Amino acid sequence: MSSKLSRRDFLKMCAGSAAVISLSSYLAPFMKEAVAAGAPPVIWIQGASCTGCSISLLNTVHPDIKEVLTKVISLTYHPNISAAAGDLAIKEAIYKVAETNPKNFFLVVEGAVPTGAEGRFCMVGETENGEPIVFEKLIKDIGSKAKAIINFGTCSAYGGIPATSPNPTDCKPVSKVVKNVPIINVPGCPPHPDWMVGTIAHVLLYNDLPELDSFGRPKMFFERIIHDNCQRRQYFDNAIFAKTFGEMGCMLELGCKGPYAHCDATTRLWNNGNNWCVGCGGVCIGCTEPQFPAWPMYERMPDMPVGPATSVTADQIGLVLGGATALGIAGHLAGNIITGRIGPKKADEAKEGEA
Amino acid sequence: MFKKMEERHSLWIRIFHWTNMIAITMLILTGFYIHAPQTFRLFGSMDTARGFHFAMAYVLVVGVLGRVYYAIAAKDAKNIVYSPVEDTKKLPSMLKYYLFLADDHPYYGKYNPGQKGMYTGWLVMAILMIITGFILYKPHLFLGLSGWFGGFLTVRLIHYIITWLFVLTVMLHVYLDVAEGIPILKSMFTGKIPADFHHGYHEDEA
Ligand code: HEM
Repeated sequence: MSSKLSRRDFLKMCAGSAAVISLSSYLAPFMKEAVAAGAPPVIWIQGASCTGCSISLLNTVHPDIKEVLTKVISLTYHPNISAAAGDLAIKEAIYKVAETNPKNFFLVVEGAVPTGAEGRFCMVGETENGEPIVFEKLIKDIGSKAKAIINFGTCSAYGGIPATSPNPTDCKPVSKVVKNVPIINVPGCPPHPDWMVGTIAHVLLYNDLPELDSFGRPKMFFERIIHDNCQRRQYFDNAIFAKTFGEMGCMLELGCKGPYAHCDATTRLWNNGNNWCVGCGGVCIGCTEPQFPAWPMYERMPDMPVGPATSVTADQIGLVLGGATALGIAGHLAGNIITGRIGPKKADEAKEGEA
Repeated sequence: MFKKMEERHSLWIRIFHWTNMIAITMLILTGFYIHAPQTFRLFGSMDTARGFHFAMAYVLVVGVLGRVYYAIAAKDAKNIVYSPVEDTKKLPSMLKYYLFLADDHPYYGKYNPGQKGMYTGWLVMAILMIITGFILYKPHLFLGLSGWFGGFLTVRLIHYIITWLFVLTVMLHVYLDVAEGIPILKSMFTGKIPADFHHGYHEDEA
């Protein structure tokens, strides 16, 4: 192992509250070293995405990390920052690297995989005789050759926005398209740059996957629950709830997904440690979870569909059933008294019996 | 004059009945507070309500496990578990009786098919509550399970809907017991019931 950074320290660094120093800039020199010592190349491809994950990654102020990512690590291809384009990119930077390094390169995927219309909703290039290469084919071709696939963003990890109903392009998460290759999910809309850099650094430094949770996320970043570390937690404990945005109080009733959202934004903070979602008065929308964004973003509990374009709340169902139960009981009670199963008649009977 | 009494509920049955009743009642009350603290102002703070909720959750776990063990060990399961074959056959006569279409019904054993159905349903509901509750309580520990249910929001909805089911079925349960007669109610305290208690069937049919 070329690096002087032990895995234990690495994990401590990643999981610790890193707002004080930038994780990315701390890791840069170690990554340089690992690459110099021959770490596997990294190919980055984009499907049905908005490029937001890449933008988030490049949003690290430290110049060093940009250099690392664009020049130093063998990031042989990135759609937005590579000089290679067109045939050169597809043939040389993607297919050739994949074929010459079988099972020894990492594939970063940003965006979901459109599978409708034979994948033609996302064309990434063409073959020599002018046939389109669709993203679905690209990812099947080279994904199966990768040592591991690293999904950056909720779209490639779980489907995200493009795969949300009605999903006309039939977008799917990468895991549904490429099987039998280890997959690391780094979800988020977008993911924090530290999560991306930290994950890449881990695979390059240790040539191994970080420890993952059941949704495939590196535990070092996704083990904590927003709700448990929220700056507004005191309000929750004291049952002070905000009724509108801008009010003080816990924002659960405004639809905050903090209790279900796993990530460390509470301590890592965004924009180089400036602020985070709840810190600037927004609710957590749970962008790192597989259900994002299909759940009602600003409602505490979803309504339940009971028919076409009709939905009811759980309370409405409860109240209707409660009313029915009360009516049933009242009716039965009346029946019991009329037929004499209980009440005065029965008492008479009992007396007769005793006599 | 002493009435001749028979044993109806063993001590263990009574203990589990009342601990489970207390646990479920407290879970329902604290649960509604957790759901809507501003509407359902029963507790001082989320801290108190959640503290009770989780403490009672453990009581419920012990109560459910204990009751299931007792049902198996004391061969009491046949009394309370709905048998899809046997009990479904008895259902029509019971429904007729409850809908006042018949004045009496055959003797069903300790409980009629409706009661057995409800008690079995409660076991299923309690287990679902425990599973969904612990997923919500320790989201990270039970992450995989939450996915199995379709995500945390669904888990939460299930937890909440079953709460309502508990409220409704408990209402029914209390009513039906009281309606069947005060001695039935008493028997859950004393364990005994008058030997000549009329269960709503004719002696000669029994
Ligand atoms: C008969 C049994 C139970 C009933 C009636 C009940 C009822 C409720 C209700 C009504 C809520 C509020 C739901 C919402 O607004 O989302 C709730 C929340 C909750 N329940 Fe239960 N529950 C029961 C058993 C359990 C058990 C066994 C556990 C296990 C630990 C548990 C853990 C929780 C948790 C963690 C929450 C969320 C609390 C929070 O928001 O922090 N419950 N329960």
